[in-house]
Amino acid sequence: MSLLSAASSRAYVVRRPRGPIGRMLEDERWLGLALLAPTIILLGLFVAYPFVKGIELAVTNTTVGQPGHFVGLQNFVALWHDDIFRMAVWNTCLYTVVATTTKLALGLWLALLLNRSFRGKAFMRAFILLPFIIPTVLSTFAWKWMFDPTFSVINYVLLHLHLITVADRINWLGEPVLAMVSVIIVNVWRGVPFFAISLLAGLQTISPELHEAAAIDGARAWARFRHVTWPLLLPVTMVIMLFSVIQTFADFQLVYVLTGGGPANTTQLFATYAYQIGIGTGLLSQGAAISLAIFPILLLVVIVQLVYIRRVETV
Amino acid sequence: MIEGARWRRWSFFYVPVTAFVIFLLFPFYWMLVTAIRPDRELYKPWSSPLYQPFWTLHPTFQHVHDLLTQTLFSTWMLNTMIISIAATLISLFCGLFAGYALSRLKFPFAGSIGTGIFITYLVPQTLLFIPLSDIIRNFHLGDTPWALILTYPTFLVPFCTWLLMGYFKSIPKELEECARIDGATRWKAMLFIVFPVALPGILSAGIFAFTLSWNEFIYALVFLSSPTEKTVSVGVTSDLVRGDVFYWGQLMAGALLGSIPVAFVYSFFVEHYVSGITGSVKG
Amino acid sequence: MGRLDRRRFLQLSGGVAAVIASGRAPAYAQQTTLHWVRWSDFVPASDTLLKGKITEECQKALGIKLQLETINANDIQARVTSAIQSGNGPDIIFALNNWPQLYSTSLADVSDVAEEIGHEQGGYYPISKQVATVGNKWIGVPWAIGGGLVAYRKSWFDEIGYHTFPDTWEKLQDAGKKLKAKGTPIGQALSHSFGDPPGFWYPWLWSWGGKEVDADGKTVALNSKATLESVERAVPFWNEACDPGGLAWDDSSNNRAFLAGTICCTNNGASIYIEAKRKPDTYQTEKGTPMYKDIRHAPLPKGPGGQYNLPGPFTDMVMQYSKNQKAAKTFLKWVHTKPVFEEWFTSQQGYTDGATRYWEKDKVWSADPVLTPFKNLPRQGRLTGYAGPPGRAAAEVQTKYIIIDMYAKAVQGMKAQDAVNWATGELKSIYSV
Repeated sequence: MSLLSAASSRAYVVRRPRGPIGRMLEDERWLGLALLAPTIILLGLFVAYPFVKGIELAVTNTTVGQPGHFVGLQNFVALWHDDIFRMAVWNTCLYTVVATTTKLALGLWLALLLNRSFRGKAFMRAFILLPFIIPTVLSTFAWKWMFDPTFSVINYVLLHLHLITVADRINWLGEPVLAMVSVIIVNVWRGVPFFAISLLAGLQTISPELHEAAAIDGARAWARFRHVTWPLLLPVTMVIMLFSVIQTFADFQLVYVLTGGGPANTTQLFATYAYQIGIGTGLLSQGAAISLAIFPILLLVVIVQLVYIRRVETV
Repeated sequence: MIEGARWRRWSFFYVPVTAFVIFLLFPFYWMLVTAIRPDRELYKPWSSPLYQPFWTLHPTFQHVHDLLTQTLFSTWMLNTMIISIAATLISLFCGLFAGYALSRLKFPFAGSIGTGIFITYLVPQTLLFIPLSDIIRNFHLGDTPWALILTYPTFLVPFCTWLLMGYFKSIPKELEECARIDGATRWKAMLFIVFPVALPGILSAGIFAFTLSWNEFIYALVFLSSPTEKTVSVGVTSDLVRGDVFYWGQLMAGALLGSIPVAFVYSFFVEHYVSGITGSVKG
Repeated sequence: MGRLDRRRFLQLSGGVAAVIASGRAPAYAQQTTLHWVRWSDFVPASDTLLKGKITEECQKALGIKLQLETINANDIQARVTSAIQSGNGPDIIFALNNWPQLYSTSLADVSDVAEEIGHEQGGYYPISKQVATVGNKWIGVPWAIGGGLVAYRKSWFDEIGYHTFPDTWEKLQDAGKKLKAKGTPIGQALSHSFGDPPGFWYPWLWSWGGKEVDADGKTVALNSKATLESVERAVPFWNEACDPGGLAWDDSSNNRAFLAGTICCTNNGASIYIEAKRKPDTYQTEKGTPMYKDIRHAPLPKGPGGQYNLPGPFTDMVMQYSKNQKAAKTFLKWVHTKPVFEEWFTSQQGYTDGATRYWEKDKVWSADPVLTPFKNLPRQGRLTGYAGPPGRAAAEVQTKYIIIDMYAKAVQGMKAQDAVNWATGELKSIYSV
């Protein structure tokens, strides 16, 4: 065996790839560059360039069809004084925090449940993914109808459980707080499967022996979770949270279809407001400024998370 | 394994699982009932004594039939499928190479390029789609599937790259070194040794990318115009939401037909998907 | 009307006639494809007509291949914006409300076509002209006018002693109160949706004498006694007479609620009636008779400031970037010739008014007396941004739902004066730019 490996190791030293390209690809620096090229070209062309254009837009007073001139940070100053914008900032943060933590909690719970073996497990794992698969616009229409003040099936159920009466039906999308709750419910509904499946994946890497060992030591279920499962699951959780936060923060379709930001802007988010201003009124530069204003906040959140992930990973 | 006394089994397992299933799948049942409900029953208020939300005594396939014959639904499905698959393949191609390079190779600026790729994921679509339409025009891609096949990867590649980076990190370096000792070039070792091992990771990235493309709305709305080129999301909302008249039965039939087939395909992959994500986050 | 008769067409279609008389379409139009984006019509039959018969006729008469694309009204603006910014896209885009004003610098001058049609067909209504012109230049060809009237259940109003629809807000509030006690309140959207909420709340504001700005289009005049009164009166009107679900409604909700028989009346286009009439077996009254027979239309009641409505003018914009501008104009001129347009107008069954006065005399209006009240709608119309022009600032106020939210905030408990102050502040920052 050792002889063999010695022989092949010599072969490794002796044999050189043929041709100049082959030789270049043997160099880590060139290979790295070559491998990254498609991604860099694609992202450069379709993200970096439009992104720069977007920044350019945000510091001018461009409206649709009228190239504006440079106005500095005027658009951002205007936003700072804009009530609706401040509301959108607050709403977006609230929406993101509540929705992602709920998704995490429910997703984790579901993952723990699905981690046991029972009949129909594979089937169930595939079908709980449905809310994640269905085109968001269409599922949101279904929810819209379930929330509809006149036809709400949810109210029907509550009525028949004797929790409400016909007179005090719940106006899901019509009351400021409830509207936000409803929007969050739909977001959670769509996001839980992703969390559950991803966390389930994480759970399966934890070897059962660890649990058994802890059980033998007399640890109760909660303690086992707290001191064995959770720490091992943390890295997975952080990555999922990272992607979920980004997506939730920039959520658009859901609110656009469900409430349009109403009632009285209580569900207005960054993306919907940016769309309303940029597209609805043609104030492209202001719309771009709103979209851009997301960026530093998101960046901050993400940096915190990334630093945390690194810390978790290195510990 | 479900152990313990009966009441424990019920309160810690069956009840919560049932609650989850109802919460997650009820909307689909709702779509199903709506899709086969005749219009006459559709317009009964919730407080009406005749309201039967959970079933219908007069099921009809009229809505499904109308959806398939009066709209171009099957064409839209096909378009969405082609676009999603192509965009996913491109993203995987880029993501695999980039992920490998960033996790395995040492070269200048590797770290900052990695961060740069990640940051592109943060740029909101609402900011990008106006400048992007400029590029689409310059390349004469408007109203072709290519407009989406090439732009969807902008939000898929960063995700795939990061997922696969994590996955590659979890594959022991020795595996590759062995191959290199056996005389394989770096390129070949990557292609024939590392990538096959990473298959679950690739699959999970692929499934995720496919789902995101399947769901996309704004780019599809802005970049495509012929009815025969549209995707499911845009086609269905354009044809079945008419000002203040919604075609509920057909809308819901469209929603169901647009998601259930994918769920069946996923049911074959889901176990791999699960192990794929695991690999990626271990690193 | 039947197939377009070539000879009759020649007689009627003025300028285009000469071209067709020469026996073939003009060179530039020979293989031109015109891409026309419209909303998905409330009346599906009209889309079928345009995509089928009229497209064929257009090919025959003009040699132009018409490629008609219909999309959800909410999504049109995204398309317009990206098309203008990239200088590429549809040749003609169908605009709602005052949108042409937003895109004025990117639209082709169509004065010749519009002037000619207006001249031949009894003149445009002022509202159509307002949204489609900048100074004396036409930036769009008015297509038609949509608008709302109150659809109500005749028998229910009879039962409480209102044999004609209440003509003042006080009476309507009283009627609504009585009907709400019976479980069928007034249904009105007070939410973020593009059609119904402005369609009711702007006329409400005007009818109490309130206005957004002065005639100069710059001085914000919202903070007035009249506006304050309108807000104060809106609160009891809402609480006593309306369905609180309206805070969450989109444009389709009141249609559904009305057809489900949960509301007694709602301000809407004719779509409710048309849908009920199309399916008499599906939509029935509690007595089991077809509902459409119990539906009538009436204008919104009057207040101390007068009686108004907010019509929605439709305008076709020829895009400046288009290389087919000539063909587009030829097409618009042709499609607005009386025989061609009449086919479309008839298919609408009274859902829309013409953009010119000529169409008031059309036989559509005698076909169904229930729809006849829609005939006079454009005459009492005002546009958003009153008393200023319906320009960009007005559109911004509308898109941000400032006026709607002023009422929504008050209804949800904010002091009337605070709500007015808030809206005035928003208006000032919009109009100051």
